[in-house]
Amino acid sequence: MASKTAAKDIITLRGSAAIVSEFFGYAANSILYNRAVYPEESFARVKKYGLPMLLTKDEGVKSFISNLNAQLSEWLEAGKLQRVVLVIMSMNTGEVLERWNFSIETDNEVVEKGVSREKSDKEIMREIQAIMRQIASSITYLPCLDEQCVFDVLAYTDTDVAVPFTWMESSDAKLIANPQMVKLHSFDTKIHKVNTLVSYKNDEELDDEE
Amino acid sequence: MMIRTPVPKRARPIEPAPIIESPPTGSDHHRQLAIYEDPPSADPARREPYHEPLQQSEHMLCTYQCRQMVKADFLDALSNAEKQVQDYQSQLAELSDNFRKADEERKTFREKLSYAEQELAAAKGREQALHDQLLKEVNDSHERLKKELESSAKLQTKLENEQNLHKKAESTAAAAEDKSRELEAKLGHISQSIEKEKKRLNNELVHLKRDSKFSISKITVDLEKMEFRAQSSEKEVELLRKQQEDLQSKFSECFHHKSELEKKLTSLSFEDVSPKESDILVKHLQEELRNYESEVREARKLKSAHENIELINEKLLEEKSRRERAELQLPKLHEYELKINELEDELSAWKLMIQEIPGVSCRDDIRLRISALQKEVIDNLKKLGDVNAHLKQMEVILDKTQLDKQKTETEAVLAKEKADRLEAEVKRMNVMLSAVSEERNVLKTAIEDFKSKNEQAGGNASSSIMQELGSSILEREPYIKELEGDLFAQKEINTRQRDEIKSLHDRLNSEARRVKSLERENDRLRSEIFLLESKIGHGDFSAANTKVLRMVNTLAVGNDAKQTIEALQSELQRTKEKLQALEEYKSQSGNSGKMVDSYMSGKVAQLKEQIATLEKREERYKTVFADRISVFRRACCELFGYKIVMDERQHTNGIPVTRFTLQSIYAMNDNEKLEFEYESGNTNIVENSYTSTSEISQQVDIFVRKMNSIPAFTANLTVESFNRRTLS
Repeated sequence: MASKTAAKDIITLRGSAAIVSEFFGYAANSILYNRAVYPEESFARVKKYGLPMLLTKDEGVKSFISNLNAQLSEWLEAGKLQRVVLVIMSMNTGEVLERWNFSIETDNEVVEKGVSREKSDKEIMREIQAIMRQIASSITYLPCLDEQCVFDVLAYTDTDVAVPFTWMESSDAKLIANPQMVKLHSFDTKIHKVNTLVSYKNDEELDDEE
Repeated sequence: MMIRTPVPKRARPIEPAPIIESPPTGSDHHRQLAIYEDPPSADPARREPYHEPLQQSEHMLCTYQCRQMVKADFLDALSNAEKQVQDYQSQLAELSDNFRKADEERKTFREKLSYAEQELAAAKGREQALHDQLLKEVNDSHERLKKELESSAKLQTKLENEQNLHKKAESTAAAAEDKSRELEAKLGHISQSIEKEKKRLNNELVHLKRDSKFSISKITVDLEKMEFRAQSSEKEVELLRKQQEDLQSKFSECFHHKSELEKKLTSLSFEDVSPKESDILVKHLQEELRNYESEVREARKLKSAHENIELINEKLLEEKSRRERAELQLPKLHEYELKINELEDELSAWKLMIQEIPGVSCRDDIRLRISALQKEVIDNLKKLGDVNAHLKQMEVILDKTQLDKQKTETEAVLAKEKADRLEAEVKRMNVMLSAVSEERNVLKTAIEDFKSKNEQAGGNASSSIMQELGSSILEREPYIKELEGDLFAQKEINTRQRDEIKSLHDRLNSEARRVKSLERENDRLRSEIFLLESKIGHGDFSAANTKVLRMVNTLAVGNDAKQTIEALQSELQRTKEKLQALEEYKSQSGNSGKMVDSYMSGKVAQLKEQIATLEKREERYKTVFADRISVFRRACCELFGYKIVMDERQHTNGIPVTRFTLQSIYAMNDNEKLEFEYESGNTNIVENSYTSTSEISQQVDIFVRKMNSIPAFTANLTVESFNRRTLS
């Protein structure tokens, strides 16, 4: 829970986990909209982080993302989550076209001792806002996805994590060979630090032209 | 000299003739005007030799003109004299000013002198104190030096002792090492011999194994033979048994026959049969019985003999096999004897070796002895290490004492330098004092001269001024010296500052080098970070620390179905439109449409079928969804105790809002409803008539507004309504 104080707000582990999982939900929706994985008409406009954000109206995707967020929040509170990767693949060939990598650094002292940290909510929101703007502007340099695509989510966790019922251990990390990488901004709640990076398949035609 | 004849005058009292000498004025300085007055009596007795020339000139008396001339001259001389007086007065004033100045200067110099004397006294006192302090320091440093020397001597003796101990320990360690080496060599020899023996024994074992195999094979062959024989004997035994059984059966028949005969006999005894025939029968039977018994006995004997024969045969065979084995092993016996001899020799050698090793009486003791020796070696090595450590400590202490000694020496040198500096200062102060005293003397002489000059007030005014100027120059010399001293001090300060600047410069260079190294490290770390980020971006992970989990994703399947449904729906609409167009066209055209009709009707039928299937599928999905949602709703109601009704609305700003109406299953009436609005991830309670009651509003304030927890509020409300319900 974040409670208001004069200049800085107290951030607990649960609050930080909620912020990060909520961020991931909105980021996933934004990526799905911007990369046209789902049609535009299936998204609805809401206000979040001081920006007009788009959330999917598709019940299946909504429930998938909400279940995902719940599990991510649980792992974040336990300090077991290392990375979350949203993978965009071709529906026909199954080839991985883009990997949106959200790596998470957890302050283990907070997880072990249950202490809290102080950071202004506004500052965190500002940092998240910057990342959302970068995701929206990524269409300028990411290659066009001409074919029908689907998405998948991978979670990199500690080896001692029990695999939940709706999850399965995957030996395939869905990597891209020789990817192009673009590092985006990061945000820090003083308990969890999230670094964003997008790696995408090198567009060979553009490279030939260059 | 112009001498005029004086006018005779009135008598005056007898006085010596006043002579007024005028200061030399201009060109008349070579002429002296003497105002001569007639003496009151021309007493020849009183005539002085001086006036003799004048008496002679009395004869030369001037006329009035002469007098006037004399008067004029006198007046001129007077004016000149007055001028001279004025000059003298001005000079006197100047001189008095100069005297005042000199007096003031004298006073200042006196003050300076007294100040210098005070400073001198203070400097002397300081010098004395410094001298005393220096002496004390020197004494202290001497004492410390003595102590340090004593301690260093003690430490040296200790060091020598420790070195001797170290040497002894080294020698003992060397001896122990030699012993251990010897023992190890012996061990090596023993182990080698043991290994050789082992090899030999292994070879023997191999041979024995081969022999045993051979013997086993032989035995098996013998066994087979024996088996055959056993089988044959068994067959014989069976035959004999059969024979025995036959005999037994015969015996039993005979016995039975006998019993019958006896019965007959007994019966016959009652019937009067001729005794002779019966006797003969009985005799025959008895004979037969006897014969049979004898045959049975013989058969038994034969059987037992046969068994004995078999046993004997077996024993014979065993003996034969033993004999053969013994014969086979006879040649090996010699080898074994040789081996035994060798082993005995080795054993004796071992025993001798064991006897040589002190503290060892048997083979097991060797290991114990070796372990004990190893422990001894380890202990000695530990001791050696301790001694080395102690030695190093002593060396460190010695280094420390040497450093302290050096420090004290440097301190002594510094103290000496201080003393020298103080002495130089004292000398300088003495020099200053002497200069000041000289200056004082000079001033004194100058003042005296000035005084005498003032008294004389004539002659050598200019020379006195020159002297005064010289004295003032002399007076300025100490100032100059002071300034020189200040300059020197300033130079020292400058040199010190230069040294500081140099040291700062060096520090700056070192810091710059450090900064460069840090920059290099920074670049290296950045490159590492870049590599790691590239690895992260690529998705690499370590399987020891990380596992990759994937959520079961049915969206693609659902998406496929949805897409097919959508595609089919769009196709359906298109076909419907086509159908409408065709029907219109059909209505316009006549027969030509019949052909098309049949084709189109077929297609229409197909499309209608597709529509029907899709509609059925859609209804099925709807029913399934309705079922599932109803199940979910019922489960939620039963689990959480609230009936939830969901209602989609839209705000004025276009953002959709979902309203949830919750009614507890323990509610007393239908008005007890909670309303919540869910918008963009935020849930807010909506006030209504039920929540505005005092009890509920209090709970809303505590749980929802202060603690920001709606589940706690609903749970508390559920418990309260449950309690109310159960109590009522």
